[in-house]
Amino acid sequence: MDVREKLNILSAAAKYDVSCTSSGSRRSAPPRGLGDACPAGICHTWSSDGRCISLLKILLSNACKYDCAYCANRRSNDIPRATFTPKEVIDLTLEFYRRNYIEGLFLSSAVVGSPDATMERLVKVVKELRTVHRFGGYIHLKSIPGASEKLLHEAGLYADRTSVNIEVPSERSLTYLAPEKNYASVYAPMNYFAERKIEYGGSRGRYTPNFLPAGQSTQMIVGASGETDFQILTLSAGFYRQQRLKRVYFSGYVPVNADKRLPALTTKPPLLREHRLYQADWLMRFYKFDYDEILDAKHPNLDLNLDPKAGWALRHPEFFPVDLQTADYEMILRVPGIGVKSAQLIVSSRRYCKIRLETLKKMGVVLKRAKYFIYHPDIPAGVRQFYPEMIRPLLLAPSKTQQLDLFDSTPLLLPSAPATTNSLPSVFPSTNVIPAKAGISLPKPHLLAAG
Amino acid sequence: MSLCISYDSSFDGFLSAVFEIYSQHLDVESFVPDRDTGATGDLFQQNFRVETNDESASRLRRAVVNYAGDDVLNLLYAAFLSEEPGVEMKILAYLRKLFAGDDPNFAKNVASTEMLPLYKLAYSVRHEAGGLLGMVRFSKAPGNFYVSKIDPKYDVLLLIEPHFRNRFSNENWVIYDERRKYALLHDRTGESRVVTLPDATALTDAIQSDSFTQLWQDYYKSIAIKERENPKLLRRCLPVRYWKNLTERQTVCVPAL
Repeated sequence: MDVREKLNILSAAAKYDVSCTSSGSRRSAPPRGLGDACPAGICHTWSSDGRCISLLKILLSNACKYDCAYCANRRSNDIPRATFTPKEVIDLTLEFYRRNYIEGLFLSSAVVGSPDATMERLVKVVKELRTVHRFGGYIHLKSIPGASEKLLHEAGLYADRTSVNIEVPSERSLTYLAPEKNYASVYAPMNYFAERKIEYGGSRGRYTPNFLPAGQSTQMIVGASGETDFQILTLSAGFYRQQRLKRVYFSGYVPVNADKRLPALTTKPPLLREHRLYQADWLMRFYKFDYDEILDAKHPNLDLNLDPKAGWALRHPEFFPVDLQTADYEMILRVPGIGVKSAQLIVSSRRYCKIRLETLKKMGVVLKRAKYFIYHPDIPAGVRQFYPEMIRPLLLAPSKTQQLDLFDSTPLLLPSAPATTNSLPSVFPSTNVIPAKAGISLPKPHLLAAG
Repeated sequence: MSLCISYDSSFDGFLSAVFEIYSQHLDVESFVPDRDTGATGDLFQQNFRVETNDESASRLRRAVVNYAGDDVLNLLYAAFLSEEPGVEMKILAYLRKLFAGDDPNFAKNVASTEMLPLYKLAYSVRHEAGGLLGMVRFSKAPGNFYVSKIDPKYDVLLLIEPHFRNRFSNENWVIYDERRKYALLHDRTGESRVVTLPDATALTDAIQSDSFTQLWQDYYKSIAIKERENPKLLRRCLPVRYWKNLTERQTVCVPAL
């Protein structure tokens, strides 16, 4: 099997890993070496599903010994198996990097043999890249649950970021879908890295290693098991707080296996739900929201029609409308439609001038939603009232009107009520009875693309 | 009679022109950079040529830094690189108000009528420069040279130069701006330098595909999840105008929306 074939198999096997960021690490190119790391992260291209590609995302091997229900590489699937040699991975990485195709390497692997043996192979590749080839680019290394601490430590010295996937948002579902896995084995490496990062992060001396500069991330599948959004957000808030993760990824379940424990193969991936979860995640990471503000036991799921920030604002009319001239930065951030950039622009320029509607428009602040939640000098004081029940329908996107087909074979009829046709006296000729099926079909809810 | 100032299209040239405007009390109506060779002058304007003078340019730089700070100077530079027609007059309007000193808060007020258009322009220019860091594609040419061709909307080659110099300091590479006909040359022993290349066929001929091009195209195809295909999102993230220079988009036909 040549490299090209292997690359096809092993990149297709890695595509369900969502994480492809290259941010959070600053490293200048090593002397006589190749590559550096840019803290903002750089996207190099976007695949046809609209996801950013910044790393060469591959598995070292897809010959897995586990049999997890949701995974495309599980033992019981009849798919071509392949394994890269370390040299092949290194050559691919360096050559792609020199052509500026990628920002670095994302290396993962199926569990082949023992977790320790797998982890050792992964670490070997990364170590060789860093020490022999003086590679300074970004490296994201998967850590294998059950690997020894010695190997994990070595991984932390050479990789920029590492991740262990929690896979399913509750332990009960995980042991049901993946009998060989449990939460303890996932948490062990995560906690180990979190502790080492605290240990090395306090005071950087000359000999303190630059341990995992870009931190850790994890990923969970959404829509394969019955967890609520509140459970998912609680879990991810815990990761951010306790394990100090940089990112939690949600992956809307794409049915890859026919399995009675999982949704049917024809199920569409829950892209809109995934999008809303990411919005909620952004609220926690950049907008200073707490997970129990976004959802609570009474509202366990995110509203698919409304973004979570607008949902929060409508549940809390007491904070609105917000006076942009005097409100805190944190409060301006909470106005639906105003993002970090606009909020900063407002705060920095309101010291010098009054923020009027016209100023906002010129700044490029998107007022489509924000206009209902703010007041500014141009609104008379008497109208500064906020009625959530009036604003909610305005925020909901109007459903798309459907274009009727001119040449449709079915006759255009008004929707009929079958009950009335049944009650018609039998003296009416049967040809006059309006067919119950015909009518104008309702427009389908418009699915938003997930970012 | 108002003047139409022509200068050599460089930022230093523009600053020298502003310096002359102040020192000679000129009444300026418009600027014509040398890159607009086909521009027809206004019948009612008198042409006035200003040669670039490093000393006056650096004096003006110092003045801007003293009045407003480093970041404002960088912002003006970025806005200037947009090459938008009339951007010179906008910068001049800002500088006039800045040096008049009527309003002590003026320098940093992003919302002012003079600053806001410049701020937005600079934002677009920096946005394109940032995006281009990932979208430069090198091909291996004979002689261990890596060659790349870009066609950015704004003149951002000098903004992205430090990034590539730091990253590939040990390689030999060229980035050629086909719209503005100049290239950035870096060789592993020395510094990078800027070369004007009116005829770049030799350079563009050197852009060849090799086995790694093929591997990269394969990788690009196999990493996409078919069930999640989203051509609209793709076009928003990766505008079509960049596709012609992206190796991985060469074999893919444009998906219909």
